[in-house]
Amino acid sequence: MRKCSGFTLLLASLCLALICACAQDSGSSPSESIKHPEITEQEKLLPCSECHQQATPEVYEQWFNSLHGIGMVKCYQCHGTYENFKVEPATSVCATCHMDMIEKCPKDQKCWACHTPHSFKRANK
Amino acid sequence: MVQTRRDFLKRTAALSAASYLGILLPFKDVGNALAADETTWHRGSCRLCGTGCRLELGVKSGLPVALRGVPQSRTNMGYLCMKGMHFWKLMNHADRLTTPLYRAKKSDKFKKISWDEAMNIAADKFASAVKEHGNNSVAYYGSGQALTEETYLFQKIFRGGLQTNNVEGNPRLCMASAVGGYMTSFGADEPIGGYADIEKADCFFIIGSNMAEAHPVIFRRVMRRKLDNPKVTVINADPRISLTSRIADIHLQFNPGTDLALLNALAYVIIDEKLHNEQFINDYVTFKKSKGDTIDFEEYKKSLVDYTPEKAATIMGGKVTADQIREVARKFATSKGTLSMWTMGLNQRKQGVWANNLVHNLHILTGQLLKEGADSLSLTGQPNACGGVREGGGLCHILPGHRPVEKEAMRNQVEEAWGIPKGRIPAEPGLHTMAMFSAVNEGKIKAMWINCTSPAQSLPNCNKYNKGLAKDDTFVVCTDIFPTLTTELAANLVLPTAFHFEKTGVYGCTERRSQITRKAINPPKGAKPEVEIVRDWATLLAKKLNDPVIDQCIKPFIGLEPEYALPKAIWEEYSQKLTKGRDSDLSGAPYEVLEGMYDGVQWPAPTVEYAKTGGTVKKFVRGMDPLAEKLKTDDKPYQFYGAGHPDHKLWVWMRPQANPEEMPDADYPFYLSTGRIIDHWHTMSMTGRIPELLRANPYSYIEINPKDATRLGIKPGDMIEITSRRGTNIMPAKVYEGPIEGMVFAYWHDQHPDRMINKVTMDAIDPGSKEPEFKICACKIKKVSGPQALKPYVV
Ligand code: SF4
Repeated sequence: MRKCSGFTLLLASLCLALICACAQDSGSSPSESIKHPEITEQEKLLPCSECHQQATPEVYEQWFNSLHGIGMVKCYQCHGTYENFKVEPATSVCATCHMDMIEKCPKDQKCWACHTPHSFKRANK
Repeated sequence: MVQTRRDFLKRTAALSAASYLGILLPFKDVGNALAADETTWHRGSCRLCGTGCRLELGVKSGLPVALRGVPQSRTNMGYLCMKGMHFWKLMNHADRLTTPLYRAKKSDKFKKISWDEAMNIAADKFASAVKEHGNNSVAYYGSGQALTEETYLFQKIFRGGLQTNNVEGNPRLCMASAVGGYMTSFGADEPIGGYADIEKADCFFIIGSNMAEAHPVIFRRVMRRKLDNPKVTVINADPRISLTSRIADIHLQFNPGTDLALLNALAYVIIDEKLHNEQFINDYVTFKKSKGDTIDFEEYKKSLVDYTPEKAATIMGGKVTADQIREVARKFATSKGTLSMWTMGLNQRKQGVWANNLVHNLHILTGQLLKEGADSLSLTGQPNACGGVREGGGLCHILPGHRPVEKEAMRNQVEEAWGIPKGRIPAEPGLHTMAMFSAVNEGKIKAMWINCTSPAQSLPNCNKYNKGLAKDDTFVVCTDIFPTLTTELAANLVLPTAFHFEKTGVYGCTERRSQITRKAINPPKGAKPEVEIVRDWATLLAKKLNDPVIDQCIKPFIGLEPEYALPKAIWEEYSQKLTKGRDSDLSGAPYEVLEGMYDGVQWPAPTVEYAKTGGTVKKFVRGMDPLAEKLKTDDKPYQFYGAGHPDHKLWVWMRPQANPEEMPDADYPFYLSTGRIIDHWHTMSMTGRIPELLRANPYSYIEINPKDATRLGIKPGDMIEITSRRGTNIMPAKVYEGPIEGMVFAYWHDQHPDRMINKVTMDAIDPGSKEPEFKICACKIKKVSGPQALKPYVV
């Protein structure tokens, strides 16, 4: 197993906590109060996936092998960057590319009710 | 890479001694508006690559708030990449230029001046250059990102008004070899088919293109085709394994510059195994040794004996096997439809035109052309290199409507359309890009207008040309939206311009498709559309030179409001008078038609009724292309009416393997190649100002093969000095199985003086297309330190 720095472990635990919190609250509005751990301006110059490859390896793998991963739709396109970061993206972000699907989707339903986040496989209903 | 990035992370964290307390990152809903609120959506094209994605700008209270794709568009089917979704953030950016800036000497500081003063200075300088040094002492250097109306108007004033063909643009640096290839192989510029072939193709041959990063939405369509149809074959031929290779069934990795041998070897196998289409060859093909030297099939076949798969595999460096070459040739020839796609890997080469010809050869020999899913499709880098520059007259040797400058009849047609005296347009083509900047070095160009591009960073071997640009011998006007390395180094006068969606005009993308973007928001106060600037400048020029012909050039545009009526009148003149009757006929596509389309119109589109269907999906096919019917010379289904081939045939060319200008040697043992990264556009003056895009790739890396890295003791993140005979860079190492052993690869967006890779690249040019060989030169590398915390740099 690869060695992890204290920082990435910290990030990992924080991010996993965020994801769990989000999963429990999947019906709620975008979680604006959820915080990304503070990192320096220099660290902000690393692509999200550099840390998350270790911090949230399952999420990274799911994304990397998904249509978004192969098609190079990167973390920040859905989750924003540090100033506008959201764990749970607004549906309107999906609308950037999937407006036609969103128009077909019941208004009270979120995209990830059908499409598993990060792998985007259609969930069995 | 991971290990060292982690080390780097630890180091930078320690350096800044930041606490890890959580911070609240408030999310503003700007950028994510849905149709339900009072946001209005305005259709247009993306500004940041040649794909031509259609999108809508969301505007709320007069301000841009978001971009989203247009699902009905035939270019992108609603998808956008990160550049397309984020560029609205440039519209009200704090760094936007809003006041004309002037300095008499380039060593002075800029002073803010009024538009009146600025226009007077610009007119004075160009007028006095012409009076004192002659017409060819002035030059225009434009862009594949300028609107067609802008390029067209600039070239009209320079050619018809100032009587010089010194009209060039950055497309010379990216697609001139593709023009040369299409003209010499098919007799007409631009592809026969287009993106519609992607969903029909059964075999993709992607060579010299990392489309996953350079054309992300086209790649997405190819990816979807492959993933939905696993039997579809994707072949990726490139010295570097890239993100594009992720969907490839076969990756052919070879030494840079040996792909001519590969392409000839594929032709060898196709003929040797009788996979060629004899009927198609008999009906439609001429074989050429040189322009004046027609040969027969047997002689062509004989010329390929030097390219048996075994011989080619050896030339290519030994990583590709002879059997792989055979397999690729069979798949290419026998699939239901084979679609080749390439970009700069073939074009930016001393043998760029030849490499293009050799891809076309394969399609011609096999008949993998003119049918669904089959095409030889050069992907264009910039959003309007095809529409504005190739078609609109933006290169020194081409007048609007694909008319060669050197043909008197062609010049006369243009003069007549403009209502100016016969003989007004000079007979000699102007200076091509590298000759133009050489002339700047020599002090021969006295006044130059650089529009919407930054040659100080984007020219190969830029140290050499920046010496001339920095001198006071050449008065330089720059029109742009942001400061660039060129405005800082070379400009005497900087004129702030309106950005995309702040003005109206047409872009023509890779697949002969013209699409309009209408003004949706106001530019920042003080910035103006280029067409207004050029008209006002030309009005003053006419006075200062006392030349009524310049007045005549702008007469149709006087008094028109610049936001819509002016560009519309320019498009009207161009499309109705200059494309009518030409192969790029867009006379059926006035603004009203373009505005009614989700996407746009593919030429030829000679009537409104036809243009409204979307235009011509396949050129040269009777029943699909109105010109094929109109200009037919026999009853055959395909009619090659291109003006370049009087015999109305496709030409297969003998093109031997030839080395790049500079090969690795004992002193400079590595090949250096350069390319784009997905998050950034060209010289980063725009994408470097969008935090999401900047952070994703804030600086350039040098990619090194792990075997080379081990040999040289280089670890990921180490700072590496890259030196060629022309210049030096220092940037961090990225060690991975990307470039072939013996090759390094650098991204070219970085503006930092230490990491501007065009200081290192080579300015040798293709003798036909005059396109420089950015893609291959020789360099040496050495580690200068361990990882360093770097800062992004944007002027
Ligand atoms: S692929 Fe090109 S045209 Fe499409 S959104 Fe991205 S940058 Fe824009």
